[in-house]
Amino acid sequence: MVIPMVTSLVFREWASALDFAISVILTLLVGYTLALISRTKNTPGLTHAMVIAAGSWLIAMVLSGVPYMLSGHMKSFLDACFDTMSGYTTTGLFLLQDLDHISQGLNMWRHLLTYVGGQGIVVLALTFLIGSTGGAFKIMVGEGKEEKLEPNVRHIAVLIWRISLIYLGVGTVVLGLIAMANGIKPYLAFFHGAYIFMSAWSTGGFAPYSQNMLYYHSSAMEIASMVFFILGSFNFALHYAVWSGNRKEILRNVEIVSFTITVLTTFSLVCLALIQRGVYPNAVALFRRGFFQLISGHTTTGQSNIYARTFVREWGPLGMLATTIAMAIGASAASTGGGFKGLRMGIIVKGIATDIRKLLSPERAVVTGHYHHLRDSVLSEGVVKSAALIVVLYILIYVVGAVVGMAYGYPMADALFESVSAGSNTGLSCGVTQATMPTLMKIVYILEMWMGRLEFLSVFTLFGFIATSFRSMRHGKAAA
Amino acid sequence: MKKLCAMLIIVALAVLIAAPVLASAAQPLVLSTNELVENSYKWDGKTVSFKGEVLDLMVREDGTWMNLSDGNNTAMGVFVPKGVTMPVISYTEDYRTAGDVVLITGVFHRVCVQHEGETDIHAVSVTVLTRGSVKANPIHPDRVVWFVVLAGLLGLVMWLYYRKPGHETKD
Repeated sequence: MVIPMVTSLVFREWASALDFAISVILTLLVGYTLALISRTKNTPGLTHAMVIAAGSWLIAMVLSGVPYMLSGHMKSFLDACFDTMSGYTTTGLFLLQDLDHISQGLNMWRHLLTYVGGQGIVVLALTFLIGSTGGAFKIMVGEGKEEKLEPNVRHIAVLIWRISLIYLGVGTVVLGLIAMANGIKPYLAFFHGAYIFMSAWSTGGFAPYSQNMLYYHSSAMEIASMVFFILGSFNFALHYAVWSGNRKEILRNVEIVSFTITVLTTFSLVCLALIQRGVYPNAVALFRRGFFQLISGHTTTGQSNIYARTFVREWGPLGMLATTIAMAIGASAASTGGGFKGLRMGIIVKGIATDIRKLLSPERAVVTGHYHHLRDSVLSEGVVKSAALIVVLYILIYVVGAVVGMAYGYPMADALFESVSAGSNTGLSCGVTQATMPTLMKIVYILEMWMGRLEFLSVFTLFGFIATSFRSMRHGKAAA
Repeated sequence: MKKLCAMLIIVALAVLIAAPVLASAAQPLVLSTNELVENSYKWDGKTVSFKGEVLDLMVREDGTWMNLSDGNNTAMGVFVPKGVTMPVISYTEDYRTAGDVVLITGVFHRVCVQHEGETDIHAVSVTVLTRGSVKANPIHPDRVVWFVVLAGLLGLVMWLYYRKPGHETKD
């Protein structure tokens, strides 16, 4: 909150600066109060760690909503919480009113949320991936307890931030120069560059104005942003492998193969829909709009160079369905993106192929599947099962959100599109997400964003912890 | 003579009634972003009018892009080609300024061929309706009070926290 406060001071937005100062004080007050009342010498266990991980998102959501609320641009505090959850989970849907007239400080805050949220998730995901599950998870919870950090995990976490900050510098300069060349005032161009970079790299989807990428009327801006959000959607372990000199990994990695196949398939469907309906007059227009939207959806970014309602009015059901499928599949594991993830798609498809091979082979033959993700691994039933389980849970939240939308009278295609966009942390909208939408839908979308981002495990642990606490309290009362 | 006077009065009245009707027929309808996007096929290629606050001006080689805000989170890109007279825009939108409100007349494109499929309006005339102005950016006194009260509370809690750092529970 200090960075947006300074931004407001630089732009002489005094009222906005004071709003951030109040928010800083309030956040510190809540933090110190919690630290004071829960001071302990004990090391948190895995359950506590997961509860803290899931719960901290909720506390962060509420506290980060304060500057939004004080700005006067939100209709309710729930709307403010919706926007902060959307930011932290790198979704990009928003209920903020009159975006085109907010302060630079608040715009900086929106984009910082998404940048920090994106990097936080990557660190979290990688510690799961690289460290031993329990210990690594506790590391995320016990930040600052340096003596307990495993060197490799800490090293990776620092490296991720270093890579991200290097990209932030490069991205801000590149996008800032493009913005300046496109006619944006020089003193604002680099702020635009930073905003669009943070949004792209974190696969967030926010933009400083309501027109999103349409504001710039620039193919160069769209291409540069697309490069950054594709890079952001790749597994950071892959980035690490490539930075360490293992460039062949790009061609062999199961996620890249899976991503390439699903992008080509869904883009073919988009092309079919757009050509069938004669939406665009030539290939250049079709590619610039169709591919950008599709890849923005597939990487779960949500930046847009068409109007939200264009999906419904012009792209039609097939175009929307193809984009919905792309959003549902999403980006890579251990990236800033959401959705099923390419790794799980690759594992499930390879699992099915292995099962078919088993059926076709003689009974005594030993058939094993393999996949390549940083190293060659044997495809065990457990791996396939856990990948399938997470995918089923994603489908479940997509369906629940869509059913709630339909129950409120939205057409099926629109309700499914928006629900998948929220659950996969994409942020593309076909016009359903509005401040005027029913309160229950806002709550469902918030839960979808939260669960989708944390991939269920820690959220379920939090629910289990709350249930257990209530049960213990009841038993305690009964015993007394 | 009386007849002539009566005829002149009738003609004058007819002109007075018909003139605004004819004028409005010449002036295209002022449409909103929502109307244009929702019914893009209907308005595609038609001459329309659009009124909005100037968010920004981006000068390019072949013309100027103006983003015009016409409501809550709705805005339209308007391209003013070189050769079309562009009035002086005093203010563009900023947190501390209200941008000039302009009325443009131009051709709406559902997917503009020149701009690779963008939904835009190519202006043929631009008129400034209202000059923008500097907005008041006051600090609310109640917010200052909140800041002071919260700062005081924070000071107290921090003092309690750092007073006995070793005073921890162990369960």
